[in-house]
Amino acid sequence: MKKINIIALLLGSAFVAASCTSSSSQNTPTEVTLIAYDSFTPQEGIFEAFTKQTGATVKVVTAGDTGTMVSKAILTSGNPEGDVMWGIDNTFLSRAQNADVLVSYEPVDEGDICVNYDKSWFNERALAVPTSFEDLIRPEYSRLLTVQDPVNSSPGLGFLLGTIAHFGDNNWEQYWRALKDNNVNVAPDWTSAYYEAFSGSSGKGQYPLVVSYGSSPPAEVVFAETPITEPTTGVIEATCFRQTEYVGVLRGTKNTELAEKLVEFLLDKEFQESMPLTLFVFPINTEAVLPEVFKQFAVRPANPLSVEPKKIEDNRAKWLDTWRGLFS
Amino acid sequence: MTRTQQVLAGAPLMFLGVFFVVPVVMTLVVFTDIAVMGETITNSFFIKIAWFSLWQAVLSVVVTLVIGLPATWALSRVSFPGSQILRGILSAPFVIPAVVVASGVLAVLPASNNTGLLPILWAHAMFNISVVLRVVGPRWELLDQRLERASAMLGAHPMGTFRYVVWPHIKNSTINAALLIFIYCFTSFGVIVIVGGFNRRTIEAEIFTQAIRLGDTSTATALAVVQIVMIAIVFTVVRIGSRREIPTSHIHRRQRLSATTHSRWIVGGAVTSAVVVVGVPMVATLWRSIYSRSTQSFTISGWESLFDTRLPTMAYSATEVLTNSAMFALLAALVCVPLSLAAVVSNNRFLFFVSSLPIVVSAATLGIGLIITFDVDPIAWRSQWWLLPVVHAAIAFPLTTRTLHPAYIAIPTSLRHSAQVLGASPLRSFVAVEIPIMKSALWRATGLSMAVSLGEFGATSFLSRSGTTTMPIAISQLMGTVGQVPQQAAFALSATFIIVTVGVMSRA
Repeated sequence: MKKINIIALLLGSAFVAASCTSSSSQNTPTEVTLIAYDSFTPQEGIFEAFTKQTGATVKVVTAGDTGTMVSKAILTSGNPEGDVMWGIDNTFLSRAQNADVLVSYEPVDEGDICVNYDKSWFNERALAVPTSFEDLIRPEYSRLLTVQDPVNSSPGLGFLLGTIAHFGDNNWEQYWRALKDNNVNVAPDWTSAYYEAFSGSSGKGQYPLVVSYGSSPPAEVVFAETPITEPTTGVIEATCFRQTEYVGVLRGTKNTELAEKLVEFLLDKEFQESMPLTLFVFPINTEAVLPEVFKQFAVRPANPLSVEPKKIEDNRAKWLDTWRGLFS
Repeated sequence: MTRTQQVLAGAPLMFLGVFFVVPVVMTLVVFTDIAVMGETITNSFFIKIAWFSLWQAVLSVVVTLVIGLPATWALSRVSFPGSQILRGILSAPFVIPAVVVASGVLAVLPASNNTGLLPILWAHAMFNISVVLRVVGPRWELLDQRLERASAMLGAHPMGTFRYVVWPHIKNSTINAALLIFIYCFTSFGVIVIVGGFNRRTIEAEIFTQAIRLGDTSTATALAVVQIVMIAIVFTVVRIGSRREIPTSHIHRRQRLSATTHSRWIVGGAVTSAVVVVGVPMVATLWRSIYSRSTQSFTISGWESLFDTRLPTMAYSATEVLTNSAMFALLAALVCVPLSLAAVVSNNRFLFFVSSLPIVVSAATLGIGLIITFDVDPIAWRSQWWLLPVVHAAIAFPLTTRTLHPAYIAIPTSLRHSAQVLGASPLRSFVAVEIPIMKSALWRATGLSMAVSLGEFGATSFLSRSGTTTMPIAISQLMGTVGQVPQQAAFALSATFIIVTVGVMSRA
């Protein structure tokens, strides 16, 4: 019992300390709030340059995953929780536009959702790595691919949109039937697909093919437990679907001028160059220089698959219903 | 009802009204659409989801009671070395985030079998054995052991003693526990999403899908209403079936038997089966935190990263996350327990009804309500850091009142009367007589509300945060990142969570 009291006391003082620091930061004269998805993890101290330029500090507020962030922004359209929003992607952009969430927006980074493969799995079996969507439905690749539920997962939706872009409105459904007959595994989300089902990552699962990102191989190198010189995974370029993320000024901000300056800052060379190794995305600014590990191992196909944001928004419910009809 | 009781009912009513009822009603009012409602309840896809939610929840309750009741009996009636730590182990999963429980279960089962009904039932049982322990245990402890002895003396078979002596005493709390477990499993979200596979969905999971992924708030609201109505029906049916009030025994001190008078193997078996179900996935998590499956070797990199200035790929350190979680848990308890005590003492039926609402309403419904209600001055609180612990307190409220209520009504009125006859004011009798008797229940309530706060994910992930990342959020972010180092860090953080909770729960 005594111990609990001591712990309580410590926690209490920690709380007092925390509340003191938070109130002092609220007193600073100017502050601009950047709303971002949870996995927005910018380089430490990167916004100090912005403060030097403008005198204003940047407060980063995380608002859940991209879907949650956009849904909330729509519910609070015109009366936003911040000034600038980071990371609405092309699958959600049109929905945000319809609800008049942003006054202006620009692409800020891009990446691709692609099928990744486990290099050693294919080497050991002397089986050729598939190179196209069509290969994935051939009998020799039966039971090898794991994808994510497109209804609840962003990469899952990206892969579905890739097949729609490739096969067209009338034939994608037939392709998915063939994928199903070829025993594709559907995981509920990216984490369980990549870390439980996929054989090429730490989970050592049973599927050597997984839907992930074009930047996953360099991430495996950067965050390897024991240093490795080459990734254990590769990317099948022909399956890549382009994902573009946007940054925009939120309608209803009382800080338009600072908000616009922040958008400029995020598009500027310095910030853009920090993104590859913190967010694992490609810069949109062509002046930004890529880090070596990205140049070597990340894949950015010249002609990725894509679908117009408006077309995605108009058809999403219908496509997902069709997909659910096939798989449940 | 006395005036004091009216005043006492006021504070919790106001609290729940502002932070729970108003936001939820706002969501329902703004987004209810009769046409959409009609489409929703006739859609065969949603009917299938509702049916699945129902039967898996009933099955989960049965499995949990079968494993949980014998263990509860052993831990509340028999005193043996190590019983405190076992109690801690059994109680811990209640606060461990679903993402940790589920990945523990996944790690134990063979890959070919790791989604589906078995892992769902396992994870649900793992979570809810602590509910049986916490709701039925205190009641079982109060049962006068002389009654059982008398029954045995008169020649009753142990089953007969249970049926006619023990069961009437624990029936109400068992039903309460079963209802709570039913509601948790019926509205299960994290477990279902992770181990259910993509096409075994509960209504709650579908509410998130509709509201967040598909942006269809009206359908989400219609589903939320369906969920509330289904729970209300089950609630009513069960309540009607168990209307009769049961006699209360007047025992003031815990009575514990020593192991010598019982067959040791019965006690051992009862506790072991529960500990295996609960402990194995936790051990698997501890194992994963020091063993890398990809390099097939031991590693302490995950643990090391907990002491770094930042967690791998994240914008915050483990210390910050642990401090945030602990601070919120403490604040939630400070708000929740006194208000619950006031609610219990006020003995207000309407308040009792209101206080049970937070468990039946989906986190998404509440989350949406909070951001559309608290968005204008002077109540523009939606991005305030303190809204998190306050919401946690509201979510924990039904549990804490249900923990305190049986302990309060078990206090014999004669004691209160004696205190008053001896000249004590009601306040003094409350402080000197009733509080000490309820001490154990108050600690349990504190533990429970801290637990809810530590593990809460749904509403927390819905509210915007700045530097207030909690443990469940951090773990799920680390797990959702490419690379072995963040993975090891996720398991080390999960393991920390487990160790801390087992420690706290074996004392609370």
